[in-house]
Amino acid sequence: MDKSHQVVSVHLLIHIGLIFFIFPTNIIDSTRAAHWIPILLGFLVHWVLISVYTKGLSRFEGENLIDIYLRYGKPVAVIFLLPLFVYMFMVTSVTIRAYAETISLVFLSNTPLWAVMLLTLSISAFLTSLGVQVIFRTSVLMAFIFIPLITFVLCMAFQNVDWHYIFPLWSNDFSFLTDPDYLESSFAFFGGFMYLGFISTKVRYNRKKVIWGSLALFPFFLIAVYIPVLTFGEDTASKYHFPFIVAVDTIDITWLMFDRITIFFLLCTVTFVMLFTALTSWVITEILRRCIPKTFRTSYIVIGLTLLTFLAGINIPDWRDVDFLFGVNAWVRLYIYLTIPSSVYILGRVSRRKAAAAP
Amino acid sequence: MRTRLLLLKMTLAACCLLALSGCWDNRDINHRSLPVIMGISRVDSKYKVFLMIPKSSQDGTQSMLVMRTGQTITEIVDEISSNMETRVDLLHLKVIVFERKYAEEGLTDSISSFMRSREISAKSMVAICDEDLEGFFHHLQDTSESEQMVLYNFFEKNAGWSPSVAVTRTWQIFRSIHSYTRDVAIPIIKSGTSTVIENVGAAIIRHGKMVGQITEDETLLLNAFGEQSAHGKIEVLNHASVLIVSNSMNHHVSMKDGIPHMRSQINLKVSILETRGDPSVDMIKDELDTLLTQRFNRMFKNIQQHEADILGVGQYFRTRIPRDKLAHWRTNYLPRMEMDLDVNTTIQNEGNLKTVKNESMN
Repeated sequence: MDKSHQVVSVHLLIHIGLIFFIFPTNIIDSTRAAHWIPILLGFLVHWVLISVYTKGLSRFEGENLIDIYLRYGKPVAVIFLLPLFVYMFMVTSVTIRAYAETISLVFLSNTPLWAVMLLTLSISAFLTSLGVQVIFRTSVLMAFIFIPLITFVLCMAFQNVDWHYIFPLWSNDFSFLTDPDYLESSFAFFGGFMYLGFISTKVRYNRKKVIWGSLALFPFFLIAVYIPVLTFGEDTASKYHFPFIVAVDTIDITWLMFDRITIFFLLCTVTFVMLFTALTSWVITEILRRCIPKTFRTSYIVIGLTLLTFLAGINIPDWRDVDFLFGVNAWVRLYIYLTIPSSVYILGRVSRRKAAAAP
Repeated sequence: MRTRLLLLKMTLAACCLLALSGCWDNRDINHRSLPVIMGISRVDSKYKVFLMIPKSSQDGTQSMLVMRTGQTITEIVDEISSNMETRVDLLHLKVIVFERKYAEEGLTDSISSFMRSREISAKSMVAICDEDLEGFFHHLQDTSESEQMVLYNFFEKNAGWSPSVAVTRTWQIFRSIHSYTRDVAIPIIKSGTSTVIENVGAAIIRHGKMVGQITEDETLLLNAFGEQSAHGKIEVLNHASVLIVSNSMNHHVSMKDGIPHMRSQINLKVSILETRGDPSVDMIKDELDTLLTQRFNRMFKNIQQHEADILGVGQYFRTRIPRDKLAHWRTNYLPRMEMDLDVNTTIQNEGNLKTVKNESMN
């Protein structure tokens, strides 16, 4: 059965979860004017990578990334999958830590970080242990519940916008390409679609639909950066850690019974992040299951993994370290997201040629 | 075995409910004090903070005034908190009042710390008090027993706000401190004689410092310029008084020899309330035109003198002036700027009477 809509909804939700937090700061820090240029560029890379990756995968019907690499021998698998494994693990712990910090900054200032982290992690671990189909079905439910709320907040966020701040529209300064902040922003651009290579046996999807569906993300990328820029101006927006959150804070709706709609927005997006961590740890478990004896139960792996993630997250002392780890992460990500899609694509072509040569 | 497992699962699920309360060290609402108004003044490099806390009792809500001096604002709030039987929570702070002297010294530090702390809402409104804060707050408390949200309602758009009151929020001041082209005006209030508060006008804030003042009437033009509604404001002329029903603005900008030019048109729709003598429609229009243009020019001179762009006209030149030069907008461009204001009045109706004659028909 074709489950493209589930894949599209997961794809949209986890990216929305990643876009609205650290991404606006990264873009605002990396360039001074014409923010749409780096956004468009990043988005194009995102789009091309997805196309190449899914194209490569489509050559291997019913096989996941591990099967594909194992075909060409264990060393190949290790070269590609070990960095992926390390990256995925890092990304879950840093994400959980960063989002716990955001939650405590915005509304749970008295709650210790470990409690917030434990709660978010346990929910995402529960999701992971139930398997990938459950994650995908949950995403559809989440989309139904939360997308209207998010749309409402995003529309309202235009309340304090001053369109004059959109100028200058063009800048000849392309120094953002070498800016480490811009590299970090790749977290939102292509931090979360490696799962596509692992689900092909469990959740069938139409590659075209996913590729075109991902285009719907572009407005979100633009809004996340342009709302704070248009509300505060570039100079002021660059003073904030989470410019988008502060911009949402300035929304004033007298007829709404809630004073601060930031909390709603944050809670919606945090559930999306849980979805992201659940999916990422599911991928890690998939990889791990191949490395250890079959008799080991999956739920034990999940529990062990969650504990490790929790310990890693708790041992990151302050925000500076989170920032540093995001920086390190960005390099690993660059390596993974350049090598895996292209290698899968090339292997796909090779295998097809082989199949054509030996009928 | 299966039933036991099911039971275990159900118990675990029930345990999840325990986490629902969510907050750590949660304090119930009756153990919190939620001040609505905060006043800040500065005496000999020490802050003096006033908090007005609503208290509900059997005979309705009453407000309590707390005051303390200290090194930093947070320290003072913390000390007040520890001396009270409840915890002070600034979450619902609506209005922050600065004493004029402190505003003249510069608000940058306070505003930055408000933006930094998540506790104080970025939407809270800011006002400047033109008299001693202690007297002002005592007056506020004495006169406002029946209606303790006076100061808040005074600024609230759907309550007591009038178009000649500037409304400025904390984040707008923060933005102005870091902006090249945008300053803000903060409303100035003082305790009134017959009403609780009196609107005096607005303060011109430049880089977080109060540098000048505009009058109440000029504030109306400021609000109209910022496309806020001037609806309901009554303008008194020599021969008539009119009610502004709607307002809109058009702007045209150009640069000539490095001097910015701006032609603005203010479109007003008015209805006539009172007439004196037998004025014609054109006469009323002319009078309104001269009155507003003169008033605007006076205000604009004032702004240019103080090099503070409270109208935000610099915003319109973002496309005309390169960014590195725009950084000196306030000093290099604004004082030399030329500004024309056209007042385009439409008299929407004359009330129930047909008394106003149209000149062209005579």
